[in-house]
Amino acid sequence: MQSPSTYQRDRCVTGIHGLDEILRGGIPYGSTVLAAGTCGSGKTTLGMEFLVRGALAGEACAHFTATEPSVKLLENIRQYQFFDMNMVDSGLINVFDMDVLYSWLGLDKATFDLDDVHALIKAIVDIVNTIGVTRLVIDSVTTLCYKIKSDQLIRDFLFTLGKKLATLGCTTILISEITSATENAHWSSFGVEEAIADGIIVMGDNERMGHLLRFLQVVKMRGTSHSRAKHAIELTPIGVMLTPMLKWGAQIDSTSRWGQ
Amino acid sequence: MAKKMSFTKEDEEFFGTMGSFGIPKFDAAMRGGVPRGFTIVAFTETGSGSDLFAKQFVSPAEEPENTLYIATDEGQQDIVRIFQKYKWPLDIKVRTIGEEYNNTVLEKQLLASRYRLEGFQLGDIQRLAQTRFVQETTQDFLTEVTNEIMALGPYFRAVIDNMDFFLQREDQSRVISMMRMLQAHAQMVRGLLFICVSSEGLDKSVKQELSSISDMTLSFRVRTIGSDFETSMIVSKFRNAPENLKMLVFRVTPEEGITPETVERIA
Repeated sequence: MQSPSTYQRDRCVTGIHGLDEILRGGIPYGSTVLAAGTCGSGKTTLGMEFLVRGALAGEACAHFTATEPSVKLLENIRQYQFFDMNMVDSGLINVFDMDVLYSWLGLDKATFDLDDVHALIKAIVDIVNTIGVTRLVIDSVTTLCYKIKSDQLIRDFLFTLGKKLATLGCTTILISEITSATENAHWSSFGVEEAIADGIIVMGDNERMGHLLRFLQVVKMRGTSHSRAKHAIELTPIGVMLTPMLKWGAQIDSTSRWGQ
Repeated sequence: MAKKMSFTKEDEEFFGTMGSFGIPKFDAAMRGGVPRGFTIVAFTETGSGSDLFAKQFVSPAEEPENTLYIATDEGQQDIVRIFQKYKWPLDIKVRTIGEEYNNTVLEKQLLASRYRLEGFQLGDIQRLAQTRFVQETTQDFLTEVTNEIMALGPYFRAVIDNMDFFLQREDQSRVISMMRMLQAHAQMVRGLLFICVSSEGLDKSVKQELSSISDMTLSFRVRTIGSDFETSMIVSKFRNAPENLKMLVFRVTPEEGITPETVERIA
């Protein structure tokens, strides 16, 4: 038996350049991670690469898109060399359009009640269970939760979904749209996602000499030690590249830890 | 500027200024039938015979391809059975909105219930992952029906049995606007339009609007006398012919369908 000091949870190796080093080997299996970021910070690309790397390792992956139609998402992601449309065509990466899912479940109304929320959880869990999904991305949980009017119901939805997915051994990235990644900002739109998630990855922009530099910072990750330093993120044709941010230019770093 | 219609001399001679209700005795009671261009609104009670009257109204079918029967409650088979029974023409155009609604909207709701209760099967998930667009199933039956009647040519004959389907699902002011358009079209092309509306539960203001749009207003009633039912119709509006306003008791015969009784009752 391993002693507590040497025990390590199994990891879901993200395969994203630099991220596994930050997480000391990857995301603990079955975790629900909130990837909260401002617009254009690379959330969708990060999520999709997470799935592609899993698919390349033979894992079944699923992507639920609520922010943009799946056709548009796939067209946008095709520009990256790491992405191969055959992965979608062959069913290694299953891309689900939330609007289609809503329609199939008869969720055509503007707001969801308790029954609707449970129907949605059941549908997602069914899909994960039936095709044995081990990597899941919901892009974005913010758009999805806009249809759920009460905070209590949002909390119930995220908590139940996270719990069930963890039981199935599915590592999930919930993408969250935030307007600011500053120190005082919330890392979620509804204020409940961050409390429920096992991990929080914040993505935003730093302005340096008139340029917006993307950054990524792992704020929280249960079940593993990790770096909490801010890393520069570059969206290259071959995928997301993370490199430690240079400290020497950051004169106001102590008062503006989240990039402002 | 109002659109001008021209009618051929042959058509004018063939169709004349009056059309038949499909019930000779009623034609006689109305002094020759129904003037071409009339919109008739019938306020009906359950079991009062209005469905049969509506079918009988299209039975003259002077031009079958220009004759349309729109049913919201009955299926094709029921309608065909009645037409066969009375030997009315079967080559008219028939649209069964109720059936279409069941096939599209209700079928989708049933499937959604199954997914919610039983969950997705592997095949469902594969189809879901390959479906990129929401299938548009919201069908605007009101616009479709309006367009279909507006597309009918001069001297058309059309029935909507009944308007309750639309009044229950659509904004009532939209339904009234549609009725106004249809009335104007019937008047312009000298068509005959018969529309049924249930009087039970009908909003007073809607009833008032419908009565004012119509050229002729009928009320179908049923009451019990002893152990018998008595069905009657009241003509409460007949544009430019107030002498036609009357109450007629009628019965249904296997040969003639709806037949007004000719014997005057003594109260």
